[in-house]
Amino acid sequence: MRSIFRVAGTSNRNHYIYCVVEESLVVKIGNVWYTNFMKIQVIISVLACKLTRFAIRLLGRGGTDFPGRVALKLCPNLLGFLAKDVTTILVTGTNGKTTTSRMIEQSLLDSGISFFANKSGANLLSGVTAEFAANSTWTGKCRYTHALIESDEAALKQISSYVDAKVIVVTNVFRDQLDRYGEVSHTLENLKIGISHSPNAVLCLNADDSLCTSLADGVQNPVIFYGVNTPVYENRVEELSDAPYCIHCKHEYVYDYVTYGHLGGYRCPNCGYQRPQPSVCVNKILQSDMDGTQVVFQVDDRLEKAKIHLPGGYNIYNACAAMTVGKALGLSVKTVAQSLDHFACGFGRMEKFNLGQAQMRMILIKNPAGCNQVLNFVTDFSQPFIFVVCLNDRAQDGKDVSWIWDVDFEKLVQMGDVLTHLYVSGIRAEDMAVRFLYAGMPREKITVMKDYTQLLKVCTTQENPIYCMPTYTAMLELRGIISKEYGYKNFWE
Amino acid sequence: MELRICHLYPDVLNLYGDRGNVICLEQRLRWRGISVETSGVSIGQPFCPENYDLCFIGGGQDFEQEVLLADLKGEKTQQIKAAIEDGIPFLAICGGYQMLGQSYKTWDGHQFDFIGAVDFYTVGSAQRMIGNYMFTCEDLPGTKIVGFENHSGKTYLGPSVKPMGKVLKGYGNNGEDKTEGVRYQNVFGTYSHGCLLPKNPQLCDYILTVALTRKYGQCQLQPLDDSLENNAHHYMQSRLERQ
Repeated sequence: MRSIFRVAGTSNRNHYIYCVVEESLVVKIGNVWYTNFMKIQVIISVLACKLTRFAIRLLGRGGTDFPGRVALKLCPNLLGFLAKDVTTILVTGTNGKTTTSRMIEQSLLDSGISFFANKSGANLLSGVTAEFAANSTWTGKCRYTHALIESDEAALKQISSYVDAKVIVVTNVFRDQLDRYGEVSHTLENLKIGISHSPNAVLCLNADDSLCTSLADGVQNPVIFYGVNTPVYENRVEELSDAPYCIHCKHEYVYDYVTYGHLGGYRCPNCGYQRPQPSVCVNKILQSDMDGTQVVFQVDDRLEKAKIHLPGGYNIYNACAAMTVGKALGLSVKTVAQSLDHFACGFGRMEKFNLGQAQMRMILIKNPAGCNQVLNFVTDFSQPFIFVVCLNDRAQDGKDVSWIWDVDFEKLVQMGDVLTHLYVSGIRAEDMAVRFLYAGMPREKITVMKDYTQLLKVCTTQENPIYCMPTYTAMLELRGIISKEYGYKNFWE
Repeated sequence: MELRICHLYPDVLNLYGDRGNVICLEQRLRWRGISVETSGVSIGQPFCPENYDLCFIGGGQDFEQEVLLADLKGEKTQQIKAAIEDGIPFLAICGGYQMLGQSYKTWDGHQFDFIGAVDFYTVGSAQRMIGNYMFTCEDLPGTKIVGFENHSGKTYLGPSVKPMGKVLKGYGNNGEDKTEGVRYQNVFGTYSHGCLLPKNPQLCDYILTVALTRKYGQCQLQPLDDSLENNAHHYMQSRLERQ
């Protein structure tokens, strides 16, 4: 054995050592040593992954997960090999993962860093493995120095056991699809395990989210907190708090201000647990309109103005997370701030389409917290618009649609004639229609239209702008028809 | 006419759309010109049964349930029992339903004493019972109730109470004896959360009738246009029947 040149990870699940024995590679993952045999296995699985992906694309399909599952069958540790020399940034949390990743992506591009990202939204172990394979040579060497990976909250613990992350961002923790993730405490537990596999990673945590900041308790990782020092909405929707009671002593929190949901300047009057002072924060909101928000960031002692070219208070948080990753990677504050003005938003995240004469913005919805934030944004409009909601109940959407009753759609009804008409679609369109009826929407303003092609046809004839809120699988279907009929890129391109 | 609704622990027991049931009760009264006032009673706040004509209690997360047990140790347990014996209608969903029973035994052997207002108990299990489901309703012969259940507790009814109905699809109280929910005095307990009442307007009107009859001696609710509600109900009923 000539030399052991790297030891990474201390937790049992992430323990790998590799060394060079007479010019051949020997790698230890877990308790097992692998030799050249393993290398052959890697080559075969990378090739299998690339070929399946190519075949799926030839068929004109967007399967992003399947090639990874094939590769993992052939080589369960594949991700560990592919990622071992790559500086990886993991982005996780309930809401804002994709938008935050697109912002970070632009800042990496503008900083001249060589990287790839899992843009298609495949954020489970198999999808991430496939993305690494696609960006590696057939011998398993990554073509880039950095990887920007969006990770599902529950999948983080798997991904982080193979990847020695340099930075982990947790955007926020809200109640999400209960049939998939269980209670908030369960999501937090999963995130904690995920972080424990990456003891060297810099944690970028949302200081305004008491659930998120609790992830810093008792870990050795360097932590950078980020937050918003000021309320973001003048007239917020009514929403339930997902964390009204202190995570440590179960007393009710007191808030100096609330930005949205359970986020804001919280403190526990009993045990003193409180919002940590963020070192990256938004100090001031200068202006906000339908196209974006102008803010002043403070990074340590430095002030930096920036224009975030996506509207909505929640995107201020996403931008703040991107600034924090910039700090963790040592990027220029100015470069990162400027990148916020021209990043490409993720598919279905406030994405703009021209459908014939009509303009549509598509905004993905998946849980009450995210949906309420979209309403906070649209209820500021004074120009007439049309609203479309597409509610599906497949596994990826959440099989339980009762969350629509936790969304303050009543606020939309209060807008009166500014909302000219409402179309409800998707597998559970009827449930959505009932929700709006009970929110007080006049019956004649609600149209149930389950067929997407017909729905999009109706949209093209509208004079007023259309705001379309689909759940995940509804978004993929709508996006597919729009790509085909109106010449937009497919989501995997 | 007026109905006063009490929403018990609205900030704690509010899991997944449970307030939809309150919205439904309120709107179906307003649409008929009956005034309605809803008040929340939370931790540390007194519950005076004589101030209310109908009580609602929803489901919650385990974390918050612990906060709640401390509050119930005080006077509230006696007051809730008295209210139920006095015939005030209670609609209790999921965690709130379990809480009206005798006890909850976790899968690893810890036992928590609950309010004990109704004769049943719940045992935690490792398996979660999740999905759309359907059951009959003994108060409304011929009507099928559709809902969504998501619970790991298995509830077993005592001899002095009746189930709300019989499970047609899904798990119900425990996945074993085909019962769903509980009926005792004017208590309606069920695992069907979120949009139970909006999608089952007949059940909503039945509970309102019970409350109004108790208060005013008699009550004949005007029919409403339930076409949208019935569409949502029929969609789920036929989907479940195809399974």
